[in-house]
Amino acid sequence: MVSIEPDMIEQDVIEGGEPSGRSSKPKRQSRRWHFGPLGLRSRILLTFGLGSLALSLFLAIATLSFTRSNLVEERTGSAIDQTYTNASRLAVDLRSNPPNIQTVLERLGADRPLVYFRGTWTGNDARFSSSVIPLSLLTSVIQNRQPTTMRIEVDNELVFAVGVPLDSSPYAAYFEFPSINDVRSTLNSVNLALILAAGITTLLGIILGAIAASRAVRPLTAASQAAQAIAGGRLDTRLAETEDPDLAVLTSSFNDMASALQLRVERDTRFTSDVSHELRSPLMTLAASVEVMQARRDEMPERAQVALDLLVADVSRFQGLVEDLLEISRFDAGGIRLNVDELLVGEFVRQAVAISSAPETVILVSETAEEMLITGDRRRLARVVANLIDNGRAYGGGELEISVFVPDDEDPPSQIWITVEDHGPGVPVEERDLIFERFARGSIAGRRSGSEGAGLGLALVDEHIKLHRGRVWVEDRHDGLDGACFIIELPAERVS
Amino acid sequence: MVTCSNFYDPKAKNRHACPRRALDIRQDVVVGTRILAVEDDERIRAAVKLALEDEGWTVDEAASGEEAVILFLRQPADVVLIDIMLPGIDGFELCRTIRRASDVPIVMVTARSDTHDVVAGLEAGADDYLTKPFAPKELSARIRALLRRARPAHPAHPKLVFGDLEIIPDEGKVVRSGTELHLTKTEFRLLCELAQNPGRVFSREHLLDSVWGYGYFGDGRLVDVHIRRLRTKVESDSANPRHVVTVRGLGYRLQA
Repeated sequence: MVSIEPDMIEQDVIEGGEPSGRSSKPKRQSRRWHFGPLGLRSRILLTFGLGSLALSLFLAIATLSFTRSNLVEERTGSAIDQTYTNASRLAVDLRSNPPNIQTVLERLGADRPLVYFRGTWTGNDARFSSSVIPLSLLTSVIQNRQPTTMRIEVDNELVFAVGVPLDSSPYAAYFEFPSINDVRSTLNSVNLALILAAGITTLLGIILGAIAASRAVRPLTAASQAAQAIAGGRLDTRLAETEDPDLAVLTSSFNDMASALQLRVERDTRFTSDVSHELRSPLMTLAASVEVMQARRDEMPERAQVALDLLVADVSRFQGLVEDLLEISRFDAGGIRLNVDELLVGEFVRQAVAISSAPETVILVSETAEEMLITGDRRRLARVVANLIDNGRAYGGGELEISVFVPDDEDPPSQIWITVEDHGPGVPVEERDLIFERFARGSIAGRRSGSEGAGLGLALVDEHIKLHRGRVWVEDRHDGLDGACFIIELPAERVS
Repeated sequence: MVTCSNFYDPKAKNRHACPRRALDIRQDVVVGTRILAVEDDERIRAAVKLALEDEGWTVDEAASGEEAVILFLRQPADVVLIDIMLPGIDGFELCRTIRRASDVPIVMVTARSDTHDVVAGLEAGADDYLTKPFAPKELSARIRALLRRARPAHPAHPKLVFGDLEIIPDEGKVVRSGTELHLTKTEFRLLCELAQNPGRVFSREHLLDSVWGYGYFGDGRLVDVHIRRLRTKVESDSANPRHVVTVRGLGYRLQA
């Protein structure tokens, strides 16, 4: 059994050739999405990246300021303590032995001391003279007699300037300049470490984001694949059940939708099939009764004969239509069984034409084609040939020509072409796909031979040929004359 | 069944004869032939009866399988027409019931030609089938082919012997190891066809043509199922046939 896939409900809309006012209309869509919408994956990635960046920056800044204040405070405290101790020892020395301050300072052993005593500045480091002390510090210490600390920079070295007023004499003060450059370098390395940490955290955030994004998108990928499968006709496709409560909603609603769709499609298909089946019984009665009447046609009045002819013709058309509908519904239900045989293509085409509505049609079979075998259901393929002949007779007008040959003389031949050419007006380029649609007759049909044609013939041709792994299309006649050329291409092989 | 055209065309003379060869063997048909039509749809039955009576045949009608059995037992018909879809006992069962009592040719009517129904109906004993909706001309052509077949072919020899198998065409008799076999008329005809040229391979197309009167587009399953049924009767072991042999890809052959 060969099951077929019902054709996708997808129609190539053929754009009108005229550049009408349509193209001059502003394209709102493209303007609104100037930067293009971000995908879910990128959004998750961006959120994770920016989030971890912000978080690590915040942490870094907090850590830095905390470390800085802690370090600086500690150093300030110890510097001030040291200066105070030194200052009190100095005060004692100055009181007892006023004259040589330089000696006193040396005995003190302090780091970068500077003394203001009786209007003179004394120090042991030329870089740290009174000139480096800011005015505000001077004022505060000497005039207001307030111990004060300041941070200053001397020759690119960051130091504390600690000033303590000496009680041994008015306007006497002691200054020290302990270096805090080591604090700065500590802070610098902390800074560097934190920036590095922030970078790594952000990178980790992005990686996590990528993983999360792909995990988040995975069920969507599955869903989109399932949706594609359903669109492709595999209506029984379902998403796998999941225990994830968030995804379970998506999964179950998707599956519910698919079931509803399947049910509906099946119901539609069954409806077509049921209707056609139901139509067959009255049709049988009609066909049999019409035949009985036809046997007595000569006994009828002339007007009744005309009416009978109309009846006979339309009962026959009705019958064809119902059979086509049944066949189409079989295709839709996917339950076609091919009765496959190996057929000599030339012989097959001659036989198929012989039982068609135009048995005298000229058939050209090339020498190579005579030895070609096709594999197929002979009765379904005969129907294809018959439908193309009927189509040519209804729409094409004039004699038909049928050719069977190997395209492009390929060697070894793997395909066979069966062409049916007519002398009608041809099929306009924009209708060449449309005429294989169900009940699509093309705009030109109206201008052709009245109400002939059921509108399913070519759709069935298409379905049957697809089922035989071939294709069918229409072109202009190859000899330059007016008319259409229907081409069937089927896989074939040479008789071994 | 194949419809040869979707659109009616009064100029196409052979439309109704379409997938088959035109069977103009009307002279074979004996007037007074009885046909039993089993069909539950009253109007179809009436219309088919009208059409068949136009052919000069007598038509008995039955609306159900039960009615058909009683009617058939009371007055055997020459051909039985059975719709598979019947209320009560279905067409397959009716087929088997009639087959147990008689070798009368049976035509069954199915809804679809590509289902299991066709093979099941043939296995149940039907000789041929038609798919609804069929043209009555189609039906009468089938009936005529069956009636023609129902009579012995013109034999070349009075008696043909294939090992333990003896065929006496004139009497319509087949004997295996001294026991007479009960073949249906179609099975007998098929056997005679194969026996006419012992050892030669007959293709399905040839057998379809010579036994059923179908042309190129006949259904090969008719041959396959009938060969299968023939084997259950003429072979001592039908799973390993000695007489009716399949030649792969070519057809069938009869041998001793």
